[in-house]
Amino acid sequence: MTSRQAGRRIAAGTRRRSARAGARRSEPLAAKDLRLMLRLVACGGIFVALVAAKLLLPAKMAGFNEKLSAAMERNMDVQAVFSAVGRAFSGEEGVAEVYQAVFHPQEEAVQTGAVSSEDLPINMTARTAKLRDGAALDTLRSFRAEEALPAALEPEMTAQSASNLAYVLYSQENLPEGVSMEQDRLGFDYCAPVAGSAVSSDFGYREHPTEGEERFHYGVDLAADTGTEVRCFADGTVTAVGDSSSYGRYCVVAHEGGYSSLYAHCSRVTASSGASVKRGEKIAEVGETGMATGPHLHFELQREGVYLNPIYYVSSL
Amino acid sequence: MSPPCRVRVTGGFALLAAWFALANGWEPLATVLGAAAVHEAGHWLVLRCQGAAVTGLRLSVLGAAMETDGGRLSYGGELAAVLAGPGANLLAALALTAVGKGRWPAAAGANLVLCAFNLLPIRPLDGGRALYLLASWAAGPEAGEAAGRWAGSVTALALAALIGAVIWRTGGSLWLLPALAAGVYWGARPWLPGAYA
Repeated sequence: MTSRQAGRRIAAGTRRRSARAGARRSEPLAAKDLRLMLRLVACGGIFVALVAAKLLLPAKMAGFNEKLSAAMERNMDVQAVFSAVGRAFSGEEGVAEVYQAVFHPQEEAVQTGAVSSEDLPINMTARTAKLRDGAALDTLRSFRAEEALPAALEPEMTAQSASNLAYVLYSQENLPEGVSMEQDRLGFDYCAPVAGSAVSSDFGYREHPTEGEERFHYGVDLAADTGTEVRCFADGTVTAVGDSSSYGRYCVVAHEGGYSSLYAHCSRVTASSGASVKRGEKIAEVGETGMATGPHLHFELQREGVYLNPIYYVSSL
Repeated sequence: MSPPCRVRVTGGFALLAAWFALANGWEPLATVLGAAAVHEAGHWLVLRCQGAAVTGLRLSVLGAAMETDGGRLSYGGELAAVLAGPGANLLAALALTAVGKGRWPAAAGANLVLCAFNLLPIRPLDGGRALYLLASWAAGPEAGEAAGRWAGSVTALALAALIGAVIWRTGGSLWLLPALAAGVYWGARPWLPGAYA
């Protein structure tokens, strides 16, 4: 091929390419291309708007970011909702429990615990600051341990003394809603749910072990090895067996007089929902399911929806 | 020989699944995906029984959609195939409850929720398609179109309002936002030009 021929070929090729490019310019965008273009413009617009807002309104964006982060972290317990639906379907529970699982999950109290304005650091007095310290319950224990009473008078007198001291340590105004520090006379026999266990976390304000925030702990944690037998606190009926992201595997037992007990973070729940159980009967095994940092039993006690301090009934003080 | 089934997973689906897993954990994600698999298996089984081939499965942010060459199906046949998904979920829930004796309430609940959700008379969902087919079968395609359009639009907007209320009341659960957006979109879609053309 001569250089002249090659030159003609290159010139022809350039003309053809120019003609094709001209044709492309005149063609309307295909629907798919238009959609892609719109997506690109929308994404670019959002990006530019957010950058502009961050640069022009840093304080407002910081506040918005904080609110958004909090909202991102707050989630309904989907597994608990599904479980509530499943139990409602099988007739173990009612539809009300499904509503409660969506809007008022029981563990919400454990995770967020209502905090009054008096609980804010700026409004804390020396006394309330002391109450938030886990040492408050140590004081209670020491007080009770030092009370060496005659055996015949011990149960009644100790209960009275503890109740009085609880009033001193925790006045109702310093507690979240639905919490009582009074020691109830249960009116039935009961036993510690885990034999020979140590209390690893008390009822009351504490620094949350995984979230790091100061929150109210609505039960007591009893440290024990995985697989240790969990015994039923008192005679009753198993009203709920479930699995949730925070409680892990748990069960709830209703007792006479409107009392109920909850056993959480179990490795296994052996009792079935609806079953009648006796005091001391094995209903579960200790584990670390859900939001837990080690094997233990999280034990709660309620009287008609009011959280009671289980320490009075599970500790050998 | 039936054509190969092409599975497509969109980026939106992957993102939503990741967000759901981050917000709720792997166990609820596995529970939901298990129920969804049962649902799609129900559709697939009835379609295969009727000789229709499943040509594709598309997993997008709006859920799973099965593509078929079901143009030859009768109204009754298509209705059976459409209702087979929720039916499979209902059967799974019954089996899990009966066999599990309370051990798998979450799996049973997930199947029931998926069954109920898909029976909503919103057009892209099984309930909307079933309503369209029933009305078309009984009174002609125009009646089916009108029934699907109105019922779908009203129900979708009500669903969006309900999801909005859940987000508002719980102060979070933002992974539901795509579902809220889908409700608004499904509510408006029947009135957009070229809808269901």
